[in-house]
Amino acid sequence: MSILNELAKSIEEGKLQEIKEQVSHALAEGLSAEEILEKGLMQGMDVVGKRFAAEDMFIPEVMLSARTMHEALLVLRPLLEQGDQNVKMKGKVLLGTVEGDIHDIGKSLVEMMFVANGFEVVDIGENISPQAFVDAIKEHKPDVVGLSALLTTTMPAMARTVEAISAAGLRDDGRLKVIVGGAPVTEEFAREINADYYGENALDGVEVVKQALAG
Amino acid sequence: MTYMTPKFVFSPAEQAVLKEKLFTLLEQKGVRMDHAAVVEILAGAGANVDGATKMVRFPRKLLEDLIGKIPKQVLLAARDPRFDLEIPRADGGFYVRTGTGAPGFLDPEDGEYHRTRIRDVATWAKLVGSLDHINFCAFPSPVDVPGKTADIHALREMLTYCPKHIWIQPYSGESIPYLFQLAELAAGGAAELGKRPLVSFITCSLTPLDYKYMDLEVIVQACRRGVPIHACSLPSAGGTAPVTMAGTVLLAAAEVMVLLAVAQAIQPGTPGIATPLIFSMDMLTGRSLQSSTEAIQGAAAAVNFIKTSFDIPVHTYGYGADSPDIDGQAQSERSLLSLMVALAGSDILGGAGQVEVATAISPLQLIVDNDLAGMVQQLRAGLSLSDETLAWNDLLNLQPGGHFLNNDHTLMHCRSAFKGRTFVRQSRETWLKKGQVDFLAKAKDIYDEIMAGEHAGLISQEVGQEMAGLVQTADRQLGV
Ligand code: B1M
Repeated sequence: MSILNELAKSIEEGKLQEIKEQVSHALAEGLSAEEILEKGLMQGMDVVGKRFAAEDMFIPEVMLSARTMHEALLVLRPLLEQGDQNVKMKGKVLLGTVEGDIHDIGKSLVEMMFVANGFEVVDIGENISPQAFVDAIKEHKPDVVGLSALLTTTMPAMARTVEAISAAGLRDDGRLKVIVGGAPVTEEFAREINADYYGENALDGVEVVKQALAG
Repeated sequence: MTYMTPKFVFSPAEQAVLKEKLFTLLEQKGVRMDHAAVVEILAGAGANVDGATKMVRFPRKLLEDLIGKIPKQVLLAARDPRFDLEIPRADGGFYVRTGTGAPGFLDPEDGEYHRTRIRDVATWAKLVGSLDHINFCAFPSPVDVPGKTADIHALREMLTYCPKHIWIQPYSGESIPYLFQLAELAAGGAAELGKRPLVSFITCSLTPLDYKYMDLEVIVQACRRGVPIHACSLPSAGGTAPVTMAGTVLLAAAEVMVLLAVAQAIQPGTPGIATPLIFSMDMLTGRSLQSSTEAIQGAAAAVNFIKTSFDIPVHTYGYGADSPDIDGQAQSERSLLSLMVALAGSDILGGAGQVEVATAISPLQLIVDNDLAGMVQQLRAGLSLSDETLAWNDLLNLQPGGHFLNNDHTLMHCRSAFKGRTFVRQSRETWLKKGQVDFLAKAKDIYDEIMAGEHAGLISQEVGQEMAGLVQTADRQLGV
C-alpha cells in the first residue's frame, strides 16, 4: 500500500496513536504537506463521510477518525501555513445555539461532522445572544457561521441573530455564509430569515457548506 | 425444568449495588447548580459547596435525611374532583399523562401534519376530559402565539377546557410566575392551590449532573405554594449519559433524587414524583430515541429501581414512538413500552398521544392509547383467583362436552372483558363488507363524537377576564 493510501486508511480506522508518526514519516519520505493532506488524509475522511452517510460507521467511530485527523494536523498545520497557500483547511466554522436555547447535542454532532471533514471549528456554546454571535464573528473571522435551535420558541432568536449579523455589515462582501439547523427549523424558515443554507442533519449541513465553499 | 422469573429489571442485589453507587456519586462527584439561593440553602443544610465551581456535594447522611422526607403519597387534584389522582393508586395500577411540549400536530380534521396551534391545545384538553383512561394532561407547544409566552397562552387554554389535572412544562424562567398565577386564579387563590393542586410542574436536570436556574427556580416556587413537582432527568445513552443502559439508569436516578432532595431542603414535605425519562442515542444517526429496545429497558429499570429503593412515586414515558407517524411501528413501540414500565411499577405512564420522539402529537393516537391504557391496566393487575373466578360450582357440575353459554355465571360476567373501542376484531370477509374500517378510522369516529359534544369552558366569566388580563400583561412584560 502506498504511503498516501496508508494515511487514508489510518484516518478511516482512527489510528490515533500512530498517525503523527506516519505523517512525519511521509514528510521524511519527501511528500509535501499539501499532498499528505489532500491525497492522503482527506481521502480517508471522504470515505468516513460516505460510510457514515450509508450508516456503515457509528458516531463514536467517526469521532475517532476526526480526532485522528486533528492529531495529524498538529504536525501538518505549521507547514501548510508556511506553504504557498494553495492548500488550506476547508474553512473555519463558528457554531452556537441561539439565545434562550441550551440544547447542545445536535450542535455537538454538527461540530463533529465539520471537524471530520477538515474544517476548523470554533464552538461558542449555548444560549448565545445575537450580539455575542456578532462579537465572536469579528474575533474569529469564520467563513461560515452555524446557528442551532431546538425550540420553536427560540426560532425568533435565530432570526434576530441572522439580522444582527447582517446589520453589523458582516455579510456585506458576501463571503460569510450563514447556515441554520435544528429539529424545528425548515428550509422554508431558513429562506424566510435570510440565512444562506439549511442543514437538515449534521451530515447534510456539512455537505451543503462543502458544496457552497467549493462553488 | 425450572421457569426463571423474567429479568427485565435489576435484581434486589443489583439494586443494592446501584443504591450504594448513587450515594457515592453524589457524595464524591456532586452536581453543578446555577442558583445561588438554592446552593445557599443546601450549604446551610450541610452540603459541601464550592462557590467558584458551583459544585454541590451531598454527604450521605444529609441525602438520606432529605430523601426520607419525600412524601410517599401525592395528590394531583383536578378541576373536577371526580378526576383527582391519589398516588399511589389504591389498586396498585398507574395513571396516564399525555405527551408534553410537542410543536407538531397530526390533525384528524384534514389528515395533515402541521405546527401546533392554540386551538389544537384546546382540542387536546377537550379530548383528555372525555377519555376514561387518560388521567391528566400536559400541553403541546403552540406556534401561533408569541414564542416567549407560548406556555402561558397554552396553560390558559388548558385551564379553560381540561377538567383533569394539568402538568406544566415552563419554557423559560420568566414565565414561571405567570404560570403559577394562572393556576392560582383557576384554583381560587394561592391557599386553595396549595390544598388542591390542580397543576404540577416539571423540573429537569441538564444531564450530566448540571442544573439550570429555571429548573431550580421551579422548585423554589413550587415549594412556596405546596405544588407537586415531577423531578425529571432526560439522559440520552451514548450522548449525555453512558452508552450502556445501566450507567444511564444510575445517572438518571441520581439526578432525579437530587431534584427531590432540593425540594425537601427548601420545604420538607413538598410532594415530588421521581421522573426518569430515558432516551438512547441512535449511534448511527445521532437521533434521540425513546422507544428503542434499550430505552424501554432503561425506563423500566429506572422506575423500578427508584420505587423499590426509595419507596416514592415514580413516573416515566409509557407511550410514545420513534416513528414519525401513527403507523404500525408506532403501535408496537408504545405497546412494548407501556407494558414494560407498567409491570416495572411506574405510578404514571406519560407521553400518551405522542410520536416522533415527543415532537408531535396525534389526537387519534391519544384515542388508541386510551384503549391501550385500559388494556395494560388490566394486564398489569393479573388474574384474580377465587371460587367465583374459577367458576368452581360450574366446574363441579360440569358434564363432559357441552358449553358454558347458558350458565348464569357466564351471563353475570360476560360484560367484564376489556373492550377497546378502536380494535378491529372481524373476519376478513366481514371487514371487507363493512368498508375496511381500521383502528384509526374507528379512532376518527370517536374523535368526531367527542368534538361534537358539549365543551363549555370551565372558567367563570370573571376569572376568564382576569386570566386574559394576566396573559396580556405577560405578553407586554416579557417583551412580545
Ligand atoms: C448549523 O447547522 C446546523 C445543521 C443541522 C443541525 C443544527 C445546526 N442543529 C441541529 N441540527 C440537526 O443535526 C442534528 C444531528 O443530526 C440534529 O440535532 P437535534 O438537536 O435535533 O438532535 C439531537 C442529536 C438529539 N436530540 C436532542 O438532544 C433533543 C431531545 C429532546 C428530548 C430534548 C432534550 C434531551 C432536552 N431538553 Co428539550 N428536548 C426536546 C427534544 C425532543 C426531540 N426529540 O428532539 C425538546 C426540543 N425540548 C423541548 C422543551 C420544551 C424543553 N427542553 C428543555 C430542556 C431539555 C433538557 C435539558 C432536559 C434536554 C437537553 C439536553 C442537552 N444537553 O441538549 C427546556 C428548554 C431549555 C432551554 N432553554 O433550551 C424545555 C423548555 C423543557 C423544560 N421546561 O425543561 C421541546 C420543544 C418544544 C418546542 N416548542 O419546540 C422538545 C421537542 C421536547 C418536548 N416535547 O417537550 C438536527 O436537528
